[in-house]
Amino acid sequence: MSNITELIQQQRIFFDGGTGTVLQAMGLPAGQSPELWNLSHPDKIISLHNQYFDAGANIVKTNTFGVNREKFDQYRELIQAGIRCAKQAAQGRNNAFVAFDMGPTGKLLEPLGPLKFEDAVSIFADNIKVAAECGADLILIETMNDSYETKAAVLAAKENCDLPVFVTNVYDESGKLMTGASSAAMIAMLEGLKVDAVGMNCSLGPDKMLPIIDEFRQYASLPVIVNPNAGLPEVRDGKTVYTIDADAFSDYMVQLAERGATILGGCCGTTPAFIAETIRKTRSIPYTLPTRKDITCVSSYTHAVIIGDDPILIGERINPTGKPKLKEALRSGDLNYILNEGIRQTDAGCHILDVNVGLPEINETDMMIRCISALQAVTDLPLQIDSTKPDTLAAAMRIYNGKPLVNSVNGTAESMSHVLPLVQKYGGGLIALTIDENGIPDTADGRVAIAGNIIAQAETYGIPKKDIIVDPLALTISSNQSSAEVTLEAVRKIRELGVKTSLGISNISFGLPQRELITAAFYANALQTGLNCAIMNPFSAAMMNMYYAYRALHMLDNGCLDYIGYASAQTGSAITAKVPAAEENLHTAIVKGLKESAAAKAEELIRECSPLTVINDHIIPALNEIGTAFEEKKAYLPQLLMSADAASAAFEVVKQNIPAEQSDKSRAIVLATVKGDIHDIGKNIVKVLMESYGFTVYDLGRDVPPEVIRDCAVEHQCKLVGLSALMTTTVPAMADTIRLLNETDRSIKVIVGGAVLNREYAEMIGADHYGADAMDSVRYAEEFYRTI
Amino acid sequence: MLILFVKMSEERTDNLKNTDIMLITADTRNVEIDRNEMAQRLGTKRHFEDDLIRKCTQNLMNLIRYKCAYIRVPVDMQTEYVCDFGFMRVKSINLYKNLQGCREVFAMALTAGLAVDRELAKLRIVSQAEYFVTDAIASAAIDSFADYAVQKMKGNLRCCPRFSPGYGDFALHFQQPFLERLSAQALLGITLDQSFLMSPMKSITAIMGIKQ
Repeated sequence: MSNITELIQQQRIFFDGGTGTVLQAMGLPAGQSPELWNLSHPDKIISLHNQYFDAGANIVKTNTFGVNREKFDQYRELIQAGIRCAKQAAQGRNNAFVAFDMGPTGKLLEPLGPLKFEDAVSIFADNIKVAAECGADLILIETMNDSYETKAAVLAAKENCDLPVFVTNVYDESGKLMTGASSAAMIAMLEGLKVDAVGMNCSLGPDKMLPIIDEFRQYASLPVIVNPNAGLPEVRDGKTVYTIDADAFSDYMVQLAERGATILGGCCGTTPAFIAETIRKTRSIPYTLPTRKDITCVSSYTHAVIIGDDPILIGERINPTGKPKLKEALRSGDLNYILNEGIRQTDAGCHILDVNVGLPEINETDMMIRCISALQAVTDLPLQIDSTKPDTLAAAMRIYNGKPLVNSVNGTAESMSHVLPLVQKYGGGLIALTIDENGIPDTADGRVAIAGNIIAQAETYGIPKKDIIVDPLALTISSNQSSAEVTLEAVRKIRELGVKTSLGISNISFGLPQRELITAAFYANALQTGLNCAIMNPFSAAMMNMYYAYRALHMLDNGCLDYIGYASAQTGSAITAKVPAAEENLHTAIVKGLKESAAAKAEELIRECSPLTVINDHIIPALNEIGTAFEEKKAYLPQLLMSADAASAAFEVVKQNIPAEQSDKSRAIVLATVKGDIHDIGKNIVKVLMESYGFTVYDLGRDVPPEVIRDCAVEHQCKLVGLSALMTTTVPAMADTIRLLNETDRSIKVIVGGAVLNREYAEMIGADHYGADAMDSVRYAEEFYRTI
Repeated sequence: MLILFVKMSEERTDNLKNTDIMLITADTRNVEIDRNEMAQRLGTKRHFEDDLIRKCTQNLMNLIRYKCAYIRVPVDMQTEYVCDFGFMRVKSINLYKNLQGCREVFAMALTAGLAVDRELAKLRIVSQAEYFVTDAIASAAIDSFADYAVQKMKGNLRCCPRFSPGYGDFALHFQQPFLERLSAQALLGITLDQSFLMSPMKSITAIMGIKQ
């Protein structure tokens, strides 16, 4: 028997079809886990596999799809028995292989779901260890509809066995996973992780997979697996019918094979007859493997960004160098500031975001992981992981959802020995800086030589040229005027090496006045020279102007549509800026809920009067006005929240003008949704309103244990606590929290609120106040701090 | 939990009927959001609309991907307060009363998709007003899609009001066997957390009795 990876090189191979379908025909009740039959009915499982081998399949999937330690205490036994059955059926047959079949955990991973990435890796790893011990021939990770969980499964396989790893994902009609990833994004990530074959299964019938196979052919260098369902049932004239039978199925499989699918099989609803027909009909189709694609790309959990002729903008704003506010945010662990920068750069049109959180006084690795994870919940752009520390890079590359851009390796032996193995393991585009033990060469040729050395070293780790993006380093012309020329020449020559290029554009103007003028002009020159990526400030109009104009001028912007869109937006804002809003002041801006305008008006006011005056004479009266309107049902919650947003924006401006030592922490409140409850919308509304009134809010989030709430109140000597609960089942947790707070300090007052509460209930559980709505809670807090 | 459910169904293999899972999808343009529901969730009067609500609605409509999977199965209610659907056996006075006189039910799971969760995570940081409004509209939207899907699946049949795990004494943990039976992870992308709450957040599971 030959090796499966060798066999793929020579011929088209075939998976089996559905497991549940055949087992149900043998008597498995709908709704029962088929895996239990590995132990209770091994004869039937062996018969299932034999039927598929007899039909001509080369690979059978073990009956272990839903098995893992979270779902089955006896997961080991189920896996052992499953592999035993498949091996027994394969025995004595030629080119017959056993794929250990591994499906999703059933839980969504963080940040949107509850499952931690490393926990997912560990669950899968436990499966893989058993499968490897039992002698499976390959690992099949299938029916994955989340790219992150797919990555966890692949890492578990790679770290715990040497078997070939095949991966198939579930795509829907839009050609994407249900968690959003395109096939190009999945291919980028999986090829980076060095799996052996990629593809799709389940969900759709073979007809619906035709458009998706074209994308696979365009992007995949690896063999492509296609294991479709037998279509989905439809109701016709009140009857349930499957529209696709074995004959129709195999006709589609012929088309899929002709369009580049290398490994064919079936999923739910397909039987040995489907596989036999598919094999018979595809026999005469010449076999070709996918060609090697020379595409440089990185990916997020939704899409791939291709680095080629069309210039790529890498947002530089998440980097503390020269940014005191970001430094402060990093020191205080204020992720919101960082996330806001991420969202703003995304909206400004960046393609990739650089993430650098290096500050000597913080734990860079921890902060990097937190930032990457949180950013990947709010922006779908690929990230560039930027650190000088290999440990930080390693940790971030591991938990990154997609194929990251890695910033950076340089030409020193030390850097290469640390960074190249990471890219080898996790995959990634790699920024290579042309600096080595001797520093940055003064000449373009010197920099090209370092680039050549890095490329050669990378190759020894199996990192192809297409994954290397060389940064020949832009240095300021204020200290050496020839530096722009040298860098541009280096860009030109490095392109000839067959790799892509990147530059940190704004360095060129360091130390000069009106830096934007020089920076944008240099950017235009660099683009003309063939630069692929620019690490830049997307909020610089001069840079963005250059970017859009260049693309329009070089036929990269079809019909100049992007340029027109950009230019019209510029004109639009210019016009609005020129027309003064009718008699608008801070008060009306807040009442109307105009965030930008409120911030601008606060900026104006703060020049004329003290921070306290702005708060007490402008912000608070405006909030009171809308608050009263809300209480009188003349305004609604959305309007109240808009005003609160606007007031917060104004307050933010005022805060920046209050010296830190004078900031007023005496009016504070601890807010939490109680243990067991994950609903936080009500609590968040209270938070926004409290903040807009100038209270310091210690927001502990949701599902918060009583002790944590007590500890926070004690630590900050905060005498006011707000608790929220939305489920009847969590009200006891609220009562527990109040009891604990009372035991700790009788002077702490507790406001409670939430859909399940009312005044009587609140009194019963010992609360000091029932917050009927957010405004009511604010009024109570105001009163509380007035009287103490 | 799963083991428990498997054991429960193992005990009763006699009257199980193998049914097929059906899918319903819909374009957001074809599902009109119930204005009363929306007003109630937003805390506004009926048909109130302003720029914020319009903006959030428009944004949301680009993100929502409605999907519904359902099956039609018999229900055995011979034991008092026990509804046995073959794939799960539910003891619930409220559900039992709701299904009085029914021998069959539709069991359905619906979702608006994970892109809505992502948008809410983003809005939570950018603007509480947009977060609140979008959340409220999304809740009204999935409810309206449930009404739409119910019309599609029931045709001319007379049905009871839909009844979801979590209503009254219909325990939330039945989400697990429910979603497994509907292959909801593969078909709809729905998963559960430890408290049996669903991701995507804007998802619904429900039983709907078919009246004789």
